[in-house]
Amino acid sequence: MQDLQLIKGEHKHLVIAHVSDETAQWHITQEAGSVLTIHLFCLDGEATASHDVLFDIEQAGEHTETYIYGLGVISGKQQVNVRTRVRHSVPNGKSNQLLKFAVKDEAQGAFIGELIVAPHAQHTEAMQTNRNVLLSPAATMHTQPQLEIYADDVKCSHGATTGQIDESALFYMQQRGIAIDEARQLLLTAFFHDVIASLGEPETEERIQQRISDKLKY
Amino acid sequence: MLEIRNLHASIAGKEILKGINLHIAAGETHAIMGPNGAGKSTLSAVLAGNPAYTVTEGEVLFNGKDLLSMPPEIRAREGLFLSFQYPVEIPGVSMTNFMRAAVNAKREHQGLPALNAGEFLKLMRAKRALVELDNKLAGRSVNEGFSGGEKKRNEIFQMAMLEPCLSILDETDSGLDIDALRIVAEGVNKLHNSHNATIVITHYQRLLDYIVPDYVHILADGQIIRTGGKELALELEESGYAGLTAHKG
Repeated sequence: MQDLQLIKGEHKHLVIAHVSDETAQWHITQEAGSVLTIHLFCLDGEATASHDVLFDIEQAGEHTETYIYGLGVISGKQQVNVRTRVRHSVPNGKSNQLLKFAVKDEAQGAFIGELIVAPHAQHTEAMQTNRNVLLSPAATMHTQPQLEIYADDVKCSHGATTGQIDESALFYMQQRGIAIDEARQLLLTAFFHDVIASLGEPETEERIQQRISDKLKY
Repeated sequence: MLEIRNLHASIAGKEILKGINLHIAAGETHAIMGPNGAGKSTLSAVLAGNPAYTVTEGEVLFNGKDLLSMPPEIRAREGLFLSFQYPVEIPGVSMTNFMRAAVNAKREHQGLPALNAGEFLKLMRAKRALVELDNKLAGRSVNEGFSGGEKKRNEIFQMAMLEPCLSILDETDSGLDIDALRIVAEGVNKLHNSHNATIVITHYQRLLDYIVPDYVHILADGQIIRTGGKELALELEESGYAGLTAHKG
């Protein structure tokens, strides 16, 4: 477990491109006016069979912002569990979470998103979105949003969906001469686009894109 | 160019095509008309290789090759194009990336080098003009948020980009107002030459005022029950499908 404290007004980007024992578990406290942006990429090879990722974040000072952008391609027999816990303990905080996973082969993925808004944390704005695509019949994804909202003057929303790749779009692309693997890649690139673009660094984005493509190859 | 022999096909165990025979030569335009449920769209889907349908009997030769043994993308690269009745929206995939992948896949199949970015954009510009497709639409995701007319124009734009030898237009007139219909039909006519062929699938005679067929085939209950010249479409307009199907047998 890594402990991290953002001091008053600090802006921090945490990019986790490889998940390991050192980078998987975080306990983070944010003081007033701080902004934390996490980018998580679960794209490690199948040699690493399982990951347990945890971000336990507390907004301890007012007017703090927390952003979590994450994606993963989970394949082979991998088990990847991602858990976020965002605690709004004081008023006027903002948080946004966007996590997307593609699961193939016999892999298992899980996302548990806890969002806790304390009774006096009024004017909190919190959003959580989780989208998943299953690429094979044996792949599974468990998704569990847990919202505990004790304040009444807040804006909170969450959404979670798990689906398959759009067969009609695949056929449409094939009918234009695009091979089915490339069609799948194009659709999944589109699916992950907003998470990748959150990096705002074209060179890193390209590297991430390449790793996604490599891991999606059949 | 296309030789369909005794084609039978089914979906979910239900037989839709019950022995289709059709010969199409280069330079020709064929219209296939028929009542709803006759199998018109099934025929186009089977020729394009839609995996939802199963061919149970018969064969199809496309430029002398066995069409039915090819996966859909190979059929496309060999020059078969289907203009979809309901073009699919693909959020997040830009028209430019989509078309570049399609054009270069075909070029690779033909042993030609991929187009570079400049050449490709020049080609896009030239073909867009043909169907008066707005530059803004070309910059958007494939069909996303396009109106019905824009989707159909986008189909013909893609046809222009890929220069197929056989184009199947599946109910391209459905949902089009008269101006959009004219633009789409003019685009199709400009692309027609002595080396390619067109199959126009339609319910109504109206489209055939703009795209004039050499042959009209009436499809009913999975079989072609009559074949004639363009005047057959007019006869159909007069007597309706009931009048024509009564001739059967």
